[in-house]
Amino acid sequence: MHLVVQACILGILTGGVYALMASGLTLVFGVMRVINVAQGALVILSAYLSWALFMHFQIDPFLSVLIVAPLMFALGVSVQLVFIRSLRSEQAEELSLLITWALALGIEGILGAVYETTYRATNTTYANSSWTVFGYHVSVVRAYAFALSVVILVLLYLLLARTRFGRSVRATVQNPASALLLGVNADRVRAVAFGIGVSTAAAAGAVYGVLYPFNPGSHYDLISRLLSIVVLGGLGSVAGAVAAALLMGVVEAIVAVEISPVWSSFSYFVVLVVILLLRPQGFFGARQRTL
Amino acid sequence: MSRVRLAVLITLSLAAIAVPLTAASGASSGQAKGKTITIGISLSLSGDFSDSGKAAMRGYQLWRDVVNAHGGLLGNQVKLKILDDTSSPTQVVTNYQTLITKDKVAFVFGPFSTLLTAPAATVANRYHYAFIEPAGGGPAVFGEKLHNVFFTQPAPIIDSADVFAHYILSLPKSKRPKTAAYPSLDDPFASPIADRVRTLLQKAGIKTVYKTIYPSETTDLTPIVSKYAAKKPDLVVGGTQNDDAYAQVKAMVQLKFSPKFLFLSNGPNDPAEFPGKVGQKNVNGIFSTGDWFPDSKSPGNKAFVKAYLKKYGGGSGSIDPTSAEAFATGQVLQLAVAKTHSLDNGKIISALHKGNWPTVEGVLHWNSIGEPQGSDLLVEWVHHKLYPVYPKSIALHAPTAPKPPWGKG
Repeated sequence: MHLVVQACILGILTGGVYALMASGLTLVFGVMRVINVAQGALVILSAYLSWALFMHFQIDPFLSVLIVAPLMFALGVSVQLVFIRSLRSEQAEELSLLITWALALGIEGILGAVYETTYRATNTTYANSSWTVFGYHVSVVRAYAFALSVVILVLLYLLLARTRFGRSVRATVQNPASALLLGVNADRVRAVAFGIGVSTAAAAGAVYGVLYPFNPGSHYDLISRLLSIVVLGGLGSVAGAVAAALLMGVVEAIVAVEISPVWSSFSYFVVLVVILLLRPQGFFGARQRTL
Repeated sequence: MSRVRLAVLITLSLAAIAVPLTAASGASSGQAKGKTITIGISLSLSGDFSDSGKAAMRGYQLWRDVVNAHGGLLGNQVKLKILDDTSSPTQVVTNYQTLITKDKVAFVFGPFSTLLTAPAATVANRYHYAFIEPAGGGPAVFGEKLHNVFFTQPAPIIDSADVFAHYILSLPKSKRPKTAAYPSLDDPFASPIADRVRTLLQKAGIKTVYKTIYPSETTDLTPIVSKYAAKKPDLVVGGTQNDDAYAQVKAMVQLKFSPKFLFLSNGPNDPAEFPGKVGQKNVNGIFSTGDWFPDSKSPGNKAFVKAYLKKYGGGSGSIDPTSAEAFATGQVLQLAVAKTHSLDNGKIISALHKGNWPTVEGVLHWNSIGEPQGSDLLVEWVHHKLYPVYPKSIALHAPTAPKPPWGKG
């Protein structure tokens, strides 16, 4: 029982970080029907930027989010304006897949050329510390990472639910034509939403770099997980992504402890398939356009 | 038109037949003093293995400089022709085909990693070239049972941790671990290594309390570590590659579990990377294995390290073992040429199947399929430095056990 509880703690903390990574992906899909398969590569790019700031200027990775996030926002807006905006045809979804995949490969190539393929890790003084609470070990870094994820997801929620821009986003998600008629500048909304989606990768990357060693090829594993989280949560639903990420974290940790690590990823996919059979739209799929 | 096409076809067919013949004759081109001879190599200068590919290139180029400074091979200056295979097993085949049939190089050296060496060795074998290679030590290479392959490390990769089992069994019974856990990566160069150690230690009565193989996509090893930590094994033997080794150590520190003995087959043996990944204060007492170390007493190693630092700068701790392996590849050819007094690949292959060959990787000798018959070195982090500790003949420090708690030592 002790092990299961320990696994649940770990799973929830890990799931929180994946929720942060997946929220940007699902937001971008909700607003513009673009499956940004470069999200994993953008997380790794952010991990490198955060690592570089830590190595060269000793800036704590959690603080470096304040520097990296605006850069990633600018990158996201630029990518949307230059590559995605022009895709207005019926094949925009498929073409955006190709464009974002090319972006992922481009980022991987550049990172490989600049930083080589050696694994890197942002090793802060507290990277290996843990608290012992009622006999359970809670990793300090994971707790910080979880807290950061919660803060950013709450900010994202407030932005979407309580601001004029958020209303514009939701209007664009629900009915782009009507939103346009009501004076919403859909182009601007799409560009800014893509930028926000990409900038969530900044926080996720900073955290990823502290938790796991990474190299330019690490995005392949990451994007497959993120896509499965987004599908399980319901495409376009940030709340669904959070729920799915937490479920993934807990299921994988418990199966790794109680059965075998060989089955941990597989078991999550079994859960994914079963839920999709019962509810093809995912957890929050029916409300996917309302966020 | 059809006649022209027929003529083209016949010409091409003849060329296809003639190329291997000319190449084969190139492979046994005898000796010609005072000329430049070219050695062809395919290396991963881009792609997944580019760091190691570049390290191998440094080793090869250093050997070229050294051999040329000493008069070359039988009076012929050595030139290297290096092609980039982009870490691709398909491109590596094309590259060796090109080097042998088009460039007609006198010799070829191996690329980086088993994945690329296995197909490359087959190409070299087809054209009767000796295939002295620094980095293809996995079963896929030796499984081909080629007579022209010579792996320039002390032992095949999957036997590399036997030396740790021998060390444990050399301890008096009262000091040996009683229980052991074996968490291993699902990788042909990781889990078979731990399996061999488990077999040896189980036979000696060390009880296995946990064993598992985790898939390569497992980024988070904390659940696995928490599982075996709960069983409190005296010894943990991890069949690892680098990143999962770092993750295991980090998880052990976070879960405050420090076994009496900790061996990880890869990861801790990289002095340049390991402390930065797990924290300098957490390295002490961790065992690993390796084929080469800067302070090694192997033949010619001091001169190699000196020449390396002169050419490339940095500290001896920053030398990638792959550079030493590549350098040893050159040394083996140099010795074989000197012994046979010939540049003939056939004679060199025959010569290398007999006798001992002193290199920076130790004194090497091979069985008929190119598997080295020596033993790797057991290394341990002592006072934040990595030392060869076993066998005694090569040790630069006595092994320390039990492992100090995390952050101590």
